[in-house]
Amino acid sequence: MATTGINYIPAKLVLLGEMGTGKSSLVLRFVKGQFFDYQESTIGAAFFTQTLAVNETTAKFEIWDTAGQERYHSLAPMYYRGAAAAIVVYDISNTDSFTRAKKWVEELRQHGNPNMVIALAGNKADLVDNKQVEAEVAQTYAQDNGLLFLETSAKTAQGVNELFLEIARRLPKANPTQPSRMIVVDRSSERLVSTSYYCC
Amino acid sequence: MQEAELHDLSDDPDYVASQQQGSGGSENQKCTRKSNGPTEPNGSEVVYSKDNVAIHPTQYASERISGRLQLIKRDLSLFMTWIPYKQSASYGVGQGSRVKLPEKDRNLYTIRAVPLTDVRSIRRHTPTLGWQYIIMVLTSGLAFPPLYFYNGGVREFLATLKQHVFLVRSADDANVFLVNDLQDPLQRSLSSLELPRAVPVANVASSSSSLASVHSDDNSNQRSNADYHDSSFSPTESVGRHRQKVRDPARDLSIQVLEKFSLVTKFARETTSHLLRESQIFDNIGGYEKQQQVHSSPVKNQVGGDPVSQELQDKNQIISDPLEKIACRNGKLCEAAATLVGTFELIDSKEAEQQSLVWGKPRLPPLGHEEWATFLDEEGRIVDSKALRKRIFYGGVEHGLRKEVWKFLLGYNEFHSTYAEREFLETMKRSEYETIKHQWQSISPAQARRFAKFKERKSLIEKDVVRTDRSIPFYDGDENPNVGLLRDILLTFSFYNFDLGYCQGMSDLLSPILFVMEDESEAFWCFVSLMERLGPNFNRDQNGMHSQLLALSKLVEFLDSPLHCYLRQADCLNFFFCFRWILIQFKREFVYEKTMRLWEVLWTHYLSEHFHLYMCVAILKKHRKKIIEERMDFDTLLKFINELSCHITLEATLKDAEALCIIAGENKAACIPPGTPPSLPVEGGLLE
Repeated sequence: MATTGINYIPAKLVLLGEMGTGKSSLVLRFVKGQFFDYQESTIGAAFFTQTLAVNETTAKFEIWDTAGQERYHSLAPMYYRGAAAAIVVYDISNTDSFTRAKKWVEELRQHGNPNMVIALAGNKADLVDNKQVEAEVAQTYAQDNGLLFLETSAKTAQGVNELFLEIARRLPKANPTQPSRMIVVDRSSERLVSTSYYCC
Repeated sequence: MQEAELHDLSDDPDYVASQQQGSGGSENQKCTRKSNGPTEPNGSEVVYSKDNVAIHPTQYASERISGRLQLIKRDLSLFMTWIPYKQSASYGVGQGSRVKLPEKDRNLYTIRAVPLTDVRSIRRHTPTLGWQYIIMVLTSGLAFPPLYFYNGGVREFLATLKQHVFLVRSADDANVFLVNDLQDPLQRSLSSLELPRAVPVANVASSSSSLASVHSDDNSNQRSNADYHDSSFSPTESVGRHRQKVRDPARDLSIQVLEKFSLVTKFARETTSHLLRESQIFDNIGGYEKQQQVHSSPVKNQVGGDPVSQELQDKNQIISDPLEKIACRNGKLCEAAATLVGTFELIDSKEAEQQSLVWGKPRLPPLGHEEWATFLDEEGRIVDSKALRKRIFYGGVEHGLRKEVWKFLLGYNEFHSTYAEREFLETMKRSEYETIKHQWQSISPAQARRFAKFKERKSLIEKDVVRTDRSIPFYDGDENPNVGLLRDILLTFSFYNFDLGYCQGMSDLLSPILFVMEDESEAFWCFVSLMERLGPNFNRDQNGMHSQLLALSKLVEFLDSPLHCYLRQADCLNFFFCFRWILIQFKREFVYEKTMRLWEVLWTHYLSEHFHLYMCVAILKKHRKKIIEERMDFDTLLKFINELSCHITLEATLKDAEALCIIAGENKAACIPPGTPPSLPVEGGLLE
């Protein structure tokens, strides 16, 4: 909650993608700076918050992490509805997961908020030896569809903060901060201001 | 992927049935429309009629109840009906299986002329694949089971509805349509009430504007005086006093206003107290003001130890009266039950806030070997299975005994079987397991390349087993063979029950079973037995989960109406925040040993086969104060619930759940419709 005098811009963000692509790992890396090799599957959904200062404003990400299996597809609209941003995740070592990602993008375009910022994340970028989806292919797809694209690795943290930062930058600046208010963030470097933790 | 998805659906007999009925159904629809005629003789007009709209009392397609949904206009009111077809005309019944449903079941679900003024909201689900359905929530908070539009047409239904009632899309959820939801609550209540002309105009003007502002604040959950707490409220007392209060116009007004709002929480009381406070304009009581407003109120001096204050007290109780009445009436509960709940609430509120209801019987130590032996006769039969189930319900089982006892609890071994019979069964089942396992093991790489569904399933399972309980010594470390066993069992299961296949959450359910059984075949068959009960949780259309969440909602309404009303106000009545609890039986909420303890208690089906739902109520009830005081919205609530993981005290919760289960008593039938999973096989032998 906005208790420190900073004007937070709340931004609902949802993670979608085939199961086992690393959605929860990306969130955990971003929110807690942690990574587990055997991150358990998400049942139902999980919710996290994380704030991120960008220039004059601070985005407060309200992150919905969803279960990936197709069987739970029917629950997804409940989570992406009203979302300002979505990260569609695929696994660079798995072509099927990229195909599935494209389907998610289509669905979001059809049923999501029309102004939604959609990012495509090629996760597990550390698995270079098993790479099946070339960055160029994904990049082209992203360009053609107006998506933000980054390869990420929740394991090494590569691209993770950048991904969220870039999303924050693209969020509509509906509610600019009053500059007179005190902000404890160094303007020159955008960084995390606070975190809120999930689970035990 | 896309292809796999199509495969999935084409595999689904329900889906296929619905597709096939698509064409035939619309044919039929035309017929009925013609025969019915637009205008009925009694002056009512059918403005909408849709055939092949079905309710699923169970997960089985064959037990689908199809019927006709109609909107009927009579005088100036609109009513909705859903009448199931007569059994003989029931083309909605799945092909082949002509399961006759008892007439009472069919009647149970019939919706007879519900006025649309009683409908609060309609949630539509229009997935691109699969069936469309709607869920109607009444102003009372009750929800009808999902109405599946087998031939589509939800949009048309809503469009027709919109021509006759005030329908607005919820700002929070584009698929929720609020019925008769005027923006300004006062306007809403006033517009639907025939107010006496004598209302002083000036007063109305001034107070209605302030009221409007109060309410807009309410709606956005930003009210500053959130600490309002109606401490004088006590359901029992109010039920008792209810009869003494007669014909007070202001009260009648307030009751009606309250009924319009139909919010039964403290928040509702808060909200309605504002209304009532403002409604002093309809009342000649000059300083009619709530105590809670004393500090900021200009009428401060009038409220004290004087008669006005006493009157206030009475008013407060009046406020709670109709609310309770609504809750009771809509829950179809008799007054005695309401009193019981009231008493229960009273006792609850006497407890220190953090304390739970210590009503359940004292928990016992787990069942040990010596005592276990007393349950068996010479040949190994369990003489009194009910006594055994009761014993385990109250104390669980020592770990060393689980391997033996779980097989009975899960229904893999029958209670009246002998040692010899069980030994024989084990041998048979071991060989049967190998046969099924061989089915997928014998798939050659070349065959697998042409078997997308197999490859996909294998991949899903492999992705999940490597991340299931890896911190438990039994599964930790690289190349742990037990992880391989999990995989083999799940893959074999997906061949044993090919329609259900593999679904996320199953590995969580299997893990403790394999840990206990330490045997592949035994673990497999125990898992099969468990899935007989919990399989519906994993249905593609989520119907098994929906029906349990609905039952949970009704239980909460009955057992904790303030919480229920808060959740309604916060638009959280879908109870999706309990999804994980129910789907995998609290597996992620407790440490491993406690999970096993809980499961063996649940599996006794001693007090109820839906004991897990009472667990949910018990936990929610325990945190009700926090949930309401912090005004948790859906997001916050889900986060809060997820974070309760590893912070729930099992034994205390079991006791609370037991108390709740006893309190629900006979009324549990009203709350939990037949067929709500885990439904027991009829010949299961667990509940003699």
